[in-house]
Amino acid sequence: MTTLIVGAGLAGLTAATALAAAGRQVTVLEARDRVGGRTHGIEVAPGQWADAGAAYLGERHTTLKSLIARLGLVTTPTTTDGRSRFSLGGGPQGSEGRFPPLSAVALGQLFDALDDVTRLVRADAPWLTPDAERLDRISAAEWVGHHVDHADARLFFPLFLGEMMAADPADVSVLHMAFYLKSGGGIRYLNAFAGGAQEDRVDGGAHQLSELLAAKLGDRVLLGEPARVVEERGSTVRVHTDRGVHEADALVIAVPPLLADSIEYRPGLPFRRAGSTTVPGCAVKVHLVYPRPLWRDHGLSGWSVSAEGPLLSTVDDSPPGDGVGILTGFVTGREARQYTALTLEEQRDTAVSQARRLFPELPEPIAHHITDWIGEEYSKGCYAALFGLGDWVSFGPHLAAPHGRIHWAGTETSTEFFGLMEGAIRSGQRAAAEVLQAYVD
Amino acid sequence: MPAAEASTIEQVAAIYRRVLDTDAVQAESDFFDLGGDSLLATRVISAIARDLGPELTITDFLKSPTPRSVAELIASLTA
Repeated sequence: MTTLIVGAGLAGLTAATALAAAGRQVTVLEARDRVGGRTHGIEVAPGQWADAGAAYLGERHTTLKSLIARLGLVTTPTTTDGRSRFSLGGGPQGSEGRFPPLSAVALGQLFDALDDVTRLVRADAPWLTPDAERLDRISAAEWVGHHVDHADARLFFPLFLGEMMAADPADVSVLHMAFYLKSGGGIRYLNAFAGGAQEDRVDGGAHQLSELLAAKLGDRVLLGEPARVVEERGSTVRVHTDRGVHEADALVIAVPPLLADSIEYRPGLPFRRAGSTTVPGCAVKVHLVYPRPLWRDHGLSGWSVSAEGPLLSTVDDSPPGDGVGILTGFVTGREARQYTALTLEEQRDTAVSQARRLFPELPEPIAHHITDWIGEEYSKGCYAALFGLGDWVSFGPHLAAPHGRIHWAGTETSTEFFGLMEGAIRSGQRAAAEVLQAYVD
Repeated sequence: MPAAEASTIEQVAAIYRRVLDTDAVQAESDFFDLGGDSLLATRVISAIARDLGPELTITDFLKSPTPRSVAELIASLTA
């Protein structure tokens, strides 16, 4: 009994590892020349790594935490000590803690409205939410226009959604927004560093998770094998890649829905799992590298939020100890699309000059790295697929349900912690359990 | 500080109960000890503005985190 797994990200490698541990034969087909999918490490200085993709985790990410421990890795806290910087109209200004210099009454109105709509949604099956059709027909941008009248709240909303889910409010339905926020543990948990979803990082980079899983699978992981055609014939399933044809009894497709939908299926699938209204997660991650975290000399945390781009928020992602300082800039939502249209030189210059406006006396960085996930051929966006108008009602029921010998994994198939590493791992475990149950050795 | 009205204290406590989703709120309960954070504090401030009128700042609230101290602050602002 053999299983093919398409995609060597966290979901696919988790599924493959679980199946191999149960004595099943597995082959993982990975399109890229590396494993890790939407996690990717950049060695910014000798032995010091930045997460170009997924980075943060919290206490509730239980399967991720146990994987980290099982692989002998450790976490490091995301440091947020010190004052924040905000540029929300007018020049940059400092502030204690993470609270933006905006009207608390306005922000409270926004968070109240978000809390109300988040409560409405059925996180385990968003398409079965009472009133799902209506909530799936309204964009988050329209919704905020109806529910929030305060100018500060309207200014803050796209920044908040950019941070939370790398989305332009015009691109996602209210149903998707509410589901995403609920799936991740609610707005408080998703928003928080200490005690929340950004509490820790994997020391040395999250990419190590996939690299260590792949190393244990050894030659069962094949790189440079993009799946082009999936063929189901009787009791076998075949995957045609650029290098050849692989045959198995079962298949787990562990790539984002937009990518999975671009594979040719024979016979054709009677449903789709993404469409023209589904938008790639709009995130570009910018890493500016300094000899050490220089902003700390000024009592600053490295955390900033700006209404004007490109860096809508920044975080201190420096490795622990006396190493380099890494300022991570997030370019998300609409801003990300504009940014990716710039030349590489313009991207660098605008990011560096913004960082220098935000953080006093910051010199030129010693290195910089820009990771554009929107343009990644084998991810199509990051953090995760953004479901637009009508998507959840149309595609939701098919995201995780097996079709014949085809099973689905990937963070978008997990209704728990959708879009996060935790969701990816849970989906891989779920897909492996399905295969073990459906096909007895 | 002007004395806080008992009814105002109770109104603020009711807002705490809703936002914190707990019944364990007394006049002297500290919002942050009950699990509140700055994000939830904005929801309390928004509800106070809506139900009682005054628009508090986050700094006001951090200095006066109990229903009694919030009510005293409201009394001083509306005096």
